[in-house]
Amino acid sequence: MGGQTGFGPVPVEADGGPPFAADWEARVYALAAVLRRRGLFNSDELRDAIERLPPEVYLGASYYERWLGAIETLVAEKGVP
Amino acid sequence: MTYPVGSRVRVRAGDPDHHTRMPRYVRGHTGEVVAVLERWPLPDDSARGLPPRVETCYAVRFGAADLWGRGDHTVTVDLWESYLDRP
Amino acid sequence: MTGHDDLPTAARARRLEERLIAAGLTSDDEIDEFLTKLYGSASPVNGARMAARAWTDPAYRELLLSDGNAAAAELGFGGLSYQLRVVANTDRTHNVIVCTLCSCYPVSLLGPSPGWYKSFAYRSRTVREPRSVLAEFGVSLPDTVQVSVWDSTSEARYMVLPMRPAGTGALGADQLAALVTRNGLIGTAQV
Repeated sequence: MGGQTGFGPVPVEADGGPPFAADWEARVYALAAVLRRRGLFNSDELRDAIERLPPEVYLGASYYERWLGAIETLVAEKGVP
Repeated sequence: MTYPVGSRVRVRAGDPDHHTRMPRYVRGHTGEVVAVLERWPLPDDSARGLPPRVETCYAVRFGAADLWGRGDHTVTVDLWESYLDRP
Repeated sequence: MTGHDDLPTAARARRLEERLIAAGLTSDDEIDEFLTKLYGSASPVNGARMAARAWTDPAYRELLLSDGNAAAAELGFGGLSYQLRVVANTDRTHNVIVCTLCSCYPVSLLGPSPGWYKSFAYRSRTVREPRSVLAEFGVSLPDTVQVSVWDSTSEARYMVLPMRPAGTGALGADQLAALVTRNGLIGTAQV
């Protein structure tokens, strides 16, 4: 989304806070890493799955909510029971 | 390599319907190679589960005035070889 | 979103974990170990040490700017999963790093990325109007300094080598490293 307009000021005021706003965010980050390591999907498939989220989900979800949605997509597509 | 440092290169136009790491804002624009990077699997292939082509990446510099019509800064973007053509 | 608002998402995340654990694809121990290791090893202190060393050792500076991975290895940060490219600020050029496509970032050398780096605002505006973005961080550069934006679109990860502040000639390595902030290594602060 380089150059796309309309996103307003950068949320600098949150700078200095923890990198993960909640435990589940850190665990989603970790989950993505361990599943990549396990070979369930690669980084490009993860980014692609994030990009394939419906636009209203993509724009309305927080950063790690998008990761969560993408992992859910891949887990379903890869046939995990 | 195909594009040594200093080469002018043009980013392909087009809008693939698959995942790509070619940002929209540089498509069709011409820039200068400022560094030759390592060779990596093409994300366009990896994202689709295809055996990926492995290609050299290039750090390509663009002028803000060219990209946005204003600004005096530069933007350098890393691009896989198949994203590029000679101008 | 924090606190109560997170409960539905937290529950959703936990359900996903349980499904994957039941399928034998991960375990609570594996997730916990990953996070323990992340918090223990990935930190901006790492990048700061590299910058401080480059300030005092010209040969190291040259290595850092020509082969970031070798320079990282020399300080004990070998085996990086990315090609490290370090770009130096000068009195004529100020560098700033972004990933417009997602939020790629040299986590092992800077720690997990800050929320603002991942925001739509930062990702969209930094390539288009970097001075305006920098102003929001309280950074104002003279017209004589050109801004060079680096968009991390490949497997390379970028880090800025800030300029050494004036008047620091007497400081030792640890004191110099303490001056190098994470935002200084991204380019959204001057050091």
